[in-house]
Amino acid sequence: MGGSHDIDGADSAFVFEGNWKDFARIALPNLLLTIVTLGIYRFWATARERQYLWSRTRFVDEHLEWSGTGKELFLGFLIVLVLFGVPYFGVTFIAQALIARGHEAIGTALGVLAFASIFYLGGVARFRGLRYRLSRTRWRGIRGGSDHNGFVFGLSYMWKNIVGWLPAGLLIPWSMTSLWNERWNKMSFGPFAFETSAEPGGVFARFLLFYLAPFVLFVGGVIMAGMGMLAGYGVGGEDGVAIGGFLGFLGLILFFYLGLGLIAVAFYAKFYREVVGATRWRELHFTFEASTIDWIKLLVIDAVLVVFTFGIGLIFLSYRHWKFFMTHLEAGGEILLDELTQSQTSTAKHGEGLLDAFDMGAI
Amino acid sequence: MESPFKTEAQWYDGTSAVRHSGELTWDGGETFELTSPTARDGFAASDLVFGEARSRTVIYRRESTPDFRLILPADIPPGLAARLPAAHTYGAWVDRLGLGKAAGIFAVVSIAAVALFMTAPDWLGPRIPTSWERNIGDAMVGDFGGRICHTPAGDAALAKLLEKVDPEEEKVRAGVANMEMVNAVALPGGQVLLFDGLVQQAESAEELAGVLAHEVGHVRERHVMTALLRQFGLSILLAGADSGVTNSVFGLASMGYSRDAEREADDYARARMAQSNVSPLGAAGFFERMADEYGDTEDSNALVGWLASHPSSGERAKAYRDAARKGAEYPPVLTEDEFKALKTMCEQDPEVEEFEFF
Repeated sequence: MGGSHDIDGADSAFVFEGNWKDFARIALPNLLLTIVTLGIYRFWATARERQYLWSRTRFVDEHLEWSGTGKELFLGFLIVLVLFGVPYFGVTFIAQALIARGHEAIGTALGVLAFASIFYLGGVARFRGLRYRLSRTRWRGIRGGSDHNGFVFGLSYMWKNIVGWLPAGLLIPWSMTSLWNERWNKMSFGPFAFETSAEPGGVFARFLLFYLAPFVLFVGGVIMAGMGMLAGYGVGGEDGVAIGGFLGFLGLILFFYLGLGLIAVAFYAKFYREVVGATRWRELHFTFEASTIDWIKLLVIDAVLVVFTFGIGLIFLSYRHWKFFMTHLEAGGEILLDELTQSQTSTAKHGEGLLDAFDMGAI
Repeated sequence: MESPFKTEAQWYDGTSAVRHSGELTWDGGETFELTSPTARDGFAASDLVFGEARSRTVIYRRESTPDFRLILPADIPPGLAARLPAAHTYGAWVDRLGLGKAAGIFAVVSIAAVALFMTAPDWLGPRIPTSWERNIGDAMVGDFGGRICHTPAGDAALAKLLEKVDPEEEKVRAGVANMEMVNAVALPGGQVLLFDGLVQQAESAEELAGVLAHEVGHVRERHVMTALLRQFGLSILLAGADSGVTNSVFGLASMGYSRDAEREADDYARARMAQSNVSPLGAAGFFERMADEYGDTEDSNALVGWLASHPSSGERAKAYRDAARKGAEYPPVLTEDEFKALKTMCEQDPEVEEFEFF
């Protein structure tokens, strides 16, 4: 009974079939239980949410399955607390004690060391977060994973980020795409590895907006402030100038933040199209088709939803983001079901050992 | 007729992505059997565990083969359904109790835990042995990096002052710190520091006696340990809220006391001064000056430290002034020379370290 799937038809390979009412039946009890347990239930809440989202997502002709549990996430959190939280607390205590005794240099060095270790572990956590999610994601009984533990990736994460920032941030597109490649190239699903070859060149033009825009925005803002002052003068003389100038200045600040936010969204939209588009698995190639406008719509509606429900809308954000992601993710190519056998990567019983408590975004 | 022990089924064997479609049969005993045109599989009924419920199907797994997946339709004949493992929704505990009951129990336990945690500093603080506190204090600040000023005459004057306001056999460790702030602190471990800035602006030794007595009051009433525990609890709460814990040396400086604690320390100070026949008018003058200089606000800003979290300066000045006995003659607490020795202590100590924030 094997066979193969050709995924080139008009139908999307990834289809999300959930609806927000069903999700609310999961998310609202989750919220209640999370509150009455002072947040401890959130690990189980996360597992239940993902189980829903994954199971309502169809890839070709079978639904995904989330097989992670709340217990393992909780254990992962406890392990991080003991292996990392306690030493961190100790080091910062010693650093303070040293500073109080007048050994500022050693104390500061210890503080820097503690900071560097957070930086490093942040990188390791990004790797392991993705590995964990792949290892708990099943399709037709088959799961993903990685043979790497992420400790080397943590080092790459440190030096590539530093190199990316050093030349006035100009190499950030390189560090981001390079880290994406490094991370995904070490991941696999079933017996086959993912392959990525994202190029920084594709996103560099967008990234330059960050440098160009402040000038444009600044000049525009100064003109606005000047016009505000003139208008103010017309209305109320000297006092009017001050008020007009102030309003103009306020406009400038708003313009500036809004403008930078828009550029960031435009950059990320392009970045995800580039890196997902450069990711392949066996004979499959992926595309991610969300445009800048799609992202803006997502974020604006997110904000509106949260503000107008006095924060309760927060519980729907994971639903919205997953739906957004699945709606815009496409795949094409061929899967030979006979050769898709179980992953041989190792899995741990407890939330993949260490750093899943950080559990950052998978993509 | 449909057999009560049989249903259509799909399954994945966990080693390949190939889907099997066929039937699940229960023999009425301990065994399930799966049959399809190309595959056949049997396993013990107790091996089957619930996976998840989807909109029209239910997924089961096998204990012995974690990768195995069995997909059954949601409407299963009752005879067979009775033999299948029960579904779980929220997690073992909540499922057993029911959502409402579980939420109620969790809420009660949580409220009790929060109450315990919030009040712990007040009842636990005074019960922590003084020797432990001393060790904690030593670990935290040690000798303050050699920033305590020492001259023989100054030390003697300070000792004399301390004698008047601290009647205990084992005195607190008092010192003048080489810092320009107008401030004084009681540190963990029974260490009291007057900052040189405060010493410099003092117009009489009685003022210093008042401030010193107040800080000794904090030590003797065990406020320091209470505040330390509160700070510690706060940092745990903050650490829970976000993983980037930002502790700094300022954490110590921002350690504040409650207003009640301040009143207790003031009461202690006035009682000691009355006992030792030290005039409270010096302290009253000090607070009046502070009220003039910094405004008489009720706002407490932890960063401003000693002055801020205290009751309003004007109110305190009055309390000290009222404590003075009418028409009484108080002997000066220090001689002119002793007071001068205190004032020049930091200037004349060649070995004292400067205090700088890097």
